[in-house]
Amino acid sequence: MGVQAKLKEKKKEQGIHIDMTPMVDLGFLLITFFILTTTMNQPNTIDMKLPAKPDQPTEQPEIDLSNSISVLLGKDNRIYYHQFDESGLTDPSKLQETTFDTEGIERVIDQAKARAKKPDIFTVIIKPTEDSNYENFVNILDEMEITKTDHYGITDVKPWEQKIYEAKVGESGGENVNSNEN
Amino acid sequence: MPRVKPKRHNVIVDMTPFVDVAFLILTFFILTAQFRSSDLEDIVTPKSISSLTLEETDMMTVNITEDGRYSFSPIESSSGKKQLLEKMAKKYNISFTEGEINSFVVSPTVPVPMSQLKSFLHVPKDEQANVKTDGIPLDEDHQEVMDWIKYSLEVNPSARLSIKGDAKAQYPKFQELFEQLRNISFYKFNLITTAK
Repeated sequence: MGVQAKLKEKKKEQGIHIDMTPMVDLGFLLITFFILTTTMNQPNTIDMKLPAKPDQPTEQPEIDLSNSISVLLGKDNRIYYHQFDESGLTDPSKLQETTFDTEGIERVIDQAKARAKKPDIFTVIIKPTEDSNYENFVNILDEMEITKTDHYGITDVKPWEQKIYEAKVGESGGENVNSNEN
Repeated sequence: MPRVKPKRHNVIVDMTPFVDVAFLILTFFILTAQFRSSDLEDIVTPKSISSLTLEETDMMTVNITEDGRYSFSPIESSSGKKQLLEKMAKKYNISFTEGEINSFVVSPTVPVPMSQLKSFLHVPKDEQANVKTDGIPLDEDHQEVMDWIKYSLEVNPSARLSIKGDAKAQYPKFQELFEQLRNISFYKFNLITTAK
């Protein structure tokens, strides 16, 4: 009797066909997930090189103003630019404001580069103020990449620039509240 | 010509080997997935178009949080970390017990100044994230961050530095770090960003 029952069971078992297709689908889905997460584990990076600290104060070579542009990173994600030196930057109107997107600083740099006497050595001088944050800094480095500017430098804001920048911020800050005081 | 088209045979494919292979490959990838040691602080790095992936070998990291606190992640190497801790201990006249040294080797980040390091190493790993600290000091009077970097370089001359800063951290913190790096003639490093 027991042997017969076993035989019947065996017959019944042969009738069960499990379709493994969904399990294969699941398996490959999980594999793909793990492959992608291990490759995405590595964070992106920007290579950065600081200028060497000169041992003695070196003579600044004569820089034609059209071959460079100074970009100031201000607070609240604002960005300003000018192409003047100390004698040229006389009032806040000479310091112009722009934005971080394609229409803004990218176009400004491209236009300035086109106007330069020697476009190959065109330099962007990045001067982050104390109000700017790290994101502004990384964004401007991105813009260097986008505009394919190889020559750029990061320096401190000069005192004469700081004064004009503060006056400029004061102006735009005032405009937001009521009409300008001039 | 109305010939008999090739008879359609119902193909029954046994999927079992498929599943076996699939799960084998899956197991392989699960085991080789290296999880990045979770940082003690939440740092949201800024987005960048740069698509260069970070090479993790011999990499030490300085982390800067949103409110400007520094912390240091040494190169992941037990012998290297032991030597690094020895050098820092000598400079700051602190002696560490065997247990503390082992705890240091296991911790991925140092978020506290040397004065609090001993007590920090006694905190169990799971609670290390909850330790409230002002970070490692860095200014003209306190050069602790630079000491960590300098001794890491002594232990491993091919050490590389990366800076993991929060997007909203104020620039002067980075300016200070860059100035100090120039002082020790360390000019090349990486900035960690996320893909745009």
